[in-house]
Amino acid sequence: MIELSVNGQPRRLDADPEMPLLWALRDILNLTGTKYGCGIAQCGACTVHVDGEPVRSCVTTLASVAGRKVTTIEGLHPEGKHPVQLAWIEAQVPQCGYCQSGQIMAAAALLKKTPNPTDAEIDAAMAGNLCRCGTYQRIRAAIRRAATS
Amino acid sequence: MTELSLSRRGALKAASAAAAALVLPIFAEAQQLPNDRLFAPAEPGARIGPPIAYLRIGQDGRATLFSPTTECGQGTHTGHAMIFADELGLPLEHFTVEVGQPGPDFRRIQGNEMNSGGSLGTRYWYGPFRKVAAQAREMLIAAAARRLGVPAGELRAADGRVTHAASGRSLGFGELVAEAMALPVPENPPLRPDSELRYLRRPTARLDTPAKVTGAAKYGSDVVLPGMVYAVVKLSPVFRGELESFDRSSIANIPGIIDVVPLPNGVAVVANSTWAAIRGAKAISLRFKPTPHDGLDSAAFSARMREALRRPGFVNKNDGDVDAALASAARVVEATYEVPYLAHACMETDNCTARINADGTVELWLPTQHQDFCQGAVARVLGIPRERITIHTQWAGGGFGRRYGWGAAEHAAAVAKAVGRPVKLIWTREDEIGQGYYRPAQVAHMRAGLDAQGRVIAFHFKAAGPGSGTDLRPYTIRNDFDPTAVQSVADTRYRFGAFRTEYVRVDGPPIPWIWRAVGSTQCGFFVECFLDEVAAAAGKDPLALRRELLAHDARALNVLNTAAEKGGWGKPAPAGVHRGIAYVESYGSLVAEVAEVSVTNGQVKVHKVTVAIDCGEFVNPETIAQQAEGGVVMGLSAALHEEVPIKDGRAEVTNFDGYRIMRIGEAPVVETHIIRSGQTIGGVGEPPLPPAAPAMVNAIFAATGKRVRTLPVDRTDLRT
Repeated sequence: MIELSVNGQPRRLDADPEMPLLWALRDILNLTGTKYGCGIAQCGACTVHVDGEPVRSCVTTLASVAGRKVTTIEGLHPEGKHPVQLAWIEAQVPQCGYCQSGQIMAAAALLKKTPNPTDAEIDAAMAGNLCRCGTYQRIRAAIRRAATS
Repeated sequence: MTELSLSRRGALKAASAAAAALVLPIFAEAQQLPNDRLFAPAEPGARIGPPIAYLRIGQDGRATLFSPTTECGQGTHTGHAMIFADELGLPLEHFTVEVGQPGPDFRRIQGNEMNSGGSLGTRYWYGPFRKVAAQAREMLIAAAARRLGVPAGELRAADGRVTHAASGRSLGFGELVAEAMALPVPENPPLRPDSELRYLRRPTARLDTPAKVTGAAKYGSDVVLPGMVYAVVKLSPVFRGELESFDRSSIANIPGIIDVVPLPNGVAVVANSTWAAIRGAKAISLRFKPTPHDGLDSAAFSARMREALRRPGFVNKNDGDVDAALASAARVVEATYEVPYLAHACMETDNCTARINADGTVELWLPTQHQDFCQGAVARVLGIPRERITIHTQWAGGGFGRRYGWGAAEHAAAVAKAVGRPVKLIWTREDEIGQGYYRPAQVAHMRAGLDAQGRVIAFHFKAAGPGSGTDLRPYTIRNDFDPTAVQSVADTRYRFGAFRTEYVRVDGPPIPWIWRAVGSTQCGFFVECFLDEVAAAAGKDPLALRRELLAHDARALNVLNTAAEKGGWGKPAPAGVHRGIAYVESYGSLVAEVAEVSVTNGQVKVHKVTVAIDCGEFVNPETIAQQAEGGVVMGLSAALHEEVPIKDGRAEVTNFDGYRIMRIGEAPVVETHIIRSGQTIGGVGEPPLPPAAPAMVNAIFAATGKRVRTLPVDRTDLRT
């Protein structure tokens, strides 16, 4: 039995300790906002926060997050109105949207640490998140917008 | 109107009376659009009837549109709602958009298939949608006229209400739907004048954005059914390999495994979680039958394609005497170009959730761009009529043509039948990239003849390689000729003088497929980079040469000139920055792009791409800009980095650690200029992509003096 906090709620999971957090979130907790893209920490679609740090949940075992605080896209803001989410709507970032949960979680983590990032800092922090629709230009614009909001 | 349509309309009327709603079917006249010969021609006079696409307005005043198009991120659902919202006079927020069912009427209209590609959802349906929306509006007004006892001419429909300005009285649409439904449908209702439009042609926020920033958006892979199990496939690593045997005991120690279901090309491991299924799929011991191409690699296949260029191919266009013109030319420029196999790499891998009901009917939940192919494939697998299969089309995490495939649908149906439970089946990234479905590799040899004044008098384009239709639409290939192999070339607006296009079919082991913009991706690169060589040989500016070749065509010139002007062509660039230009027409839209590039120590940096697009008429400039930005990024990504190398008959890279796609740090600024020419409405999903690669590669030449004739660019040492 693994105990952890997910989006502020205490959870007890009876699951394989080696199961990646991604699949526990999706299959057991029905938090499907976190996505599978590659399974090897190369695309960032599965990005969540563990104790406030962005991590790739597809390679993060349940055992390694025991006793820690996990935040998913569903828990970023109670009404979905985190400044990053609002900026994403303003800038009309998503196309297919599949990678955007991970993008938003990565951007939120960046802004928490670096409230006013340079373009180079944005590119560095977001380098691990692929978007096949090519929304990068709008991601940059939305992060700048969120930084000044 | 056919009898079938009439009776169906009657049935719909009855249904709507029970539910008290205004329901109108949407008829689309069969039409042949320019540049869409890829799609089988529709029967003349064919009509589409319900319930494939229709509009329903309920008593709550909300409208549901049953759209013919899958939402893959291209924004079509918002565009469709915008068309109805304006013509009806109902705010956009009052719309819900779902996807209709495939059916025989649909097949008669859209190239015999219900599919989502080539912007057909807007190109075919813009007119019919406006007409049906206007019909519904006039019926609501007529119902209100009766209720209020005033002439219909004194009433106006706006903001979801019909209002009588003189008396200040008004009725909501929802209050009127039952009475409206009982009225005759006007044959030719007037369309609103431009002055009354709130949404059309104005940048409009997408309906799907809020759900896509909160994690609430549901894609195919997010579907959950009661009692569902999970399945993950493990397929032959060698292209088109067939399963010989599998050893279930090799995964007996993995907890949570429920079953292993053999498939023609591998197995599906069924488990009580995706994770257990993935573990099983990775660990299971499988044997595959040998194939004729077990030892093949990319170099050998490239040689095979280049060899084929020496054989005569199928000539599909032959204007004038090309051989004589080349023989008489003062100068002949020739070059051979090559492009590799490309993966779509949609962020969401192939998936399908399937349930076989007690009455034998089957339901599929999946992100598909081709409902008909999926339905047909599952009917074959299960041996049942396709009419018993319902398709619940889900939002897709990317499409780009990959989701014309039916692999996961077949697999999910087979597993659901074998285990007798609903199943959610996904492909891993490794199978997604490793199974083929590639934009075909291709080579092209081109020859251009110049006269003494440096004018182009002859052009011979000859391509060789796999065609994109070999597995997808074999019926489009006749005389070994795949029209996509010369797409955007054979029907070009350029006037070359004598002009021949030719193609030699060379089949390769991977399944070739359509990939965003299909043949226009490689053909745009071939022709537009070769024209840069022709311009250099003639001592001309690349823009000037294109202007000469398009001098007879004001529309094309305008597109070219807009890109050149907005992109700063001919003006001084920042130190170290060089420009390249390209022009490609595809899917009914004309696009020119100027790329600004610098090359430092062999490293390419694309700073900015300026896009000019003439798509005739348009719906949402916001989504056009999105498509231009995304198309440019995808085109540049492919040209710079992408390739599925083949080794031992299999993909040498199968995940994002080896298949490199563009990341944020490399993405250029994209500036989009939309030209409204008022011509027939064209596509926007594909057309911005093809010019991006040649514009960049031409700029690389300007920067380095090196011609990159083989993609990806990464293969060439650009250090000067």
